Amino acid sequence: MCPALPWLKTSTMTSLPGLTAEQLSLSAGPTRLLSDISFHLPPGQVLGVLGPNGAGKTSLLQQIAGTSGNRLKSSGTIYWQGEAVQQIPLHERARRIAQVDQLHDSVFALTLFQVVRMGLIPHQPLFALPNSQDDHQVMSVLQQVGLQEKARQEFATLSGGEQQRGLIARALLQRAGLLLLDEPVNHLDVYYQHSILALLKSLSRRPDDGLTVVMSLHDINLAAAYCDQLAIVAGGRLLAFGQPAEVLTAELLERVFGLTCIVNHTEHGTRVDFCPSTAEVIQL
Amino acid sequence: MTSVRLRWALLLLSALFSPLFASLFGSAGLSPGVVWQCMTDTCPGRVEDMIFFDIRLPRVLGALLAGGALAIAGATLQNVTRNGLADPYLFGIVAGAGLGAAIVSVLPDIGWLPEGTSLPVAAFAGAWGSVFLVQGLAASRWARTPEQLLLAGIALSLMLGAATHMVLYIGEPFAANKVMFWMMGSLTRLETPHLLLIAVPLFFAVILLWLSGRRFDAMLLGDKTALSLGVHAGQMRMLGLIVCASLTAVVVAHCGGIGFVGLMIPHIVRRWFGVNTRAVILGSLLLGGVFLVWADVLARTLLESQELPIGIITSAIGSVFFLLMMRQRA
Repeated sequence: MCPALPWLKTSTMTSLPGLTAEQLSLSAGPTRLLSDISFHLPPGQVLGVLGPNGAGKTSLLQQIAGTSGNRLKSSGTIYWQGEAVQQIPLHERARRIAQVDQLHDSVFALTLFQVVRMGLIPHQPLFALPNSQDDHQVMSVLQQVGLQEKARQEFATLSGGEQQRGLIARALLQRAGLLLLDEPVNHLDVYYQHSILALLKSLSRRPDDGLTVVMSLHDINLAAAYCDQLAIVAGGRLLAFGQPAEVLTAELLERVFGLTCIVNHTEHGTRVDFCPSTAEVIQL
Repeated sequence: MTSVRLRWALLLLSALFSPLFASLFGSAGLSPGVVWQCMTDTCPGRVEDMIFFDIRLPRVLGALLAGGALAIAGATLQNVTRNGLADPYLFGIVAGAGLGAAIVSVLPDIGWLPEGTSLPVAAFAGAWGSVFLVQGLAASRWARTPEQLLLAGIALSLMLGAATHMVLYIGEPFAANKVMFWMMGSLTRLETPHLLLIAVPLFFAVILLWLSGRRFDAMLLGDKTALSLGVHAGQMRMLGLIVCASLTAVVVAHCGGIGFVGLMIPHIVRRWFGVNTRAVILGSLLLGGVFLVWADVLARTLLESQELPIGIITSAIGSVFFLLMMRQRA
């Protein structure tokens, strides 16, 4: 018997730059949250994770970030720029991977400035003196997301779109190469949905330090419009991974979401329209 | 000058001058002239010298330190549990000290310790004992989240309280009286050497919290966010609990139970100076100190011929304040 083959495969996969997931599984007790997920995302690309509720999108993102918590049993490895994420110490990891969670509020009234400034923590030692340089950096990322005027406003009083942009600004301040977002356009109106996604896409296209972005989304057409790659997840399994035009097929989407749909591929991109029959909906 | 700067300046000034003004009040009055003379030159007489340097000054300085320490303990606990209602009282620290005090008061004097020190030592041990129990709970599976930790602390507090009452009920009435009086809090027993015992942990706590303030800020947005920013949420919470316990234990051991300072002062400070940890810590240090100095003046002067326990004053002011604050919110 020669065990060299899987080892060989591993070494070629992981030396690739970008994000690599290798046979990722996650379970909470008897419940499997993720089963055997493997993919590779080249650096500087935007990946959209699609799937029904409870498919494992959030679990996948947390697993990539390494924040699933130790109550869950996991196996498999995530590599970012050739390094196993779980092996990177927490403080160092925060310099390479930034996370934007679903919106939450704090009991104490933090200002936007204070929330964004937390992005500097990974770059500071445990005991750090305040520094006027910090304020400049915070204002500069706030300017990049167009919020410099709201710096002193209480975070909780900002609109959903502004809060989301604020959290993206904080992630920018972390100067991490990989940005993870859990449903960044939830609860946002159409304008902000497009503005946030366009912002993320433009960040991935920056010439020197383009970000690699992974985000979970619900709107398939938005995902098709702004993502370079799509991952379709259902029941904790990765059903498809690739460019929107390849991945989005009527057959797959019907299987995943349980609704009849029409997929149009045009030169402007891919468009999906769900047109469920009454019978399908009543089945629910 | 912005209003925030002005507030800082006023707070700093009042922290500097409150002890001096407060030392004028007491059962034996000192005139401003005498205090001025004591400070700049020598006191006019032996009696004034003794009252000012041996009784009044240690007491007002002790109030300043104890108030600051309690307020910082409360602020830290509120930060790491993300709960505005957290207070050293809720974590069984004071109840543990009370149990320690009750046990030594009931026991016959064993003579290990110098006269008069057994009660503070037992209270200190009791406070730390309960902190270890809370830490054990925090590290266990039952109390992972801040909410569970708070509930565990309350349960522990009630349990220790019940044990204290049991000990007192069985013990002799004189001991019960002594412990009851101690639980109500008083700065009478503070002497100059005790000041150092409070000042040293307070100094280190302020430095530690101030320097790692940004990380305590990150705790405010939840453990997940803290982790994603590279902050070990569990470890920070542990650190916060230890700091809080150290401060509370020394204060409670020497001054007994002084309620509401740890709960109330950080709330006022957040309203005046914002919620970031550094401002809250420095503000609580100063405002907590000033508050307790003047609460102690009330304790000394409200009744003609005797002192009121300071815990009664702080709890009375604190509860009214709290209700007013709730009304303002609603």
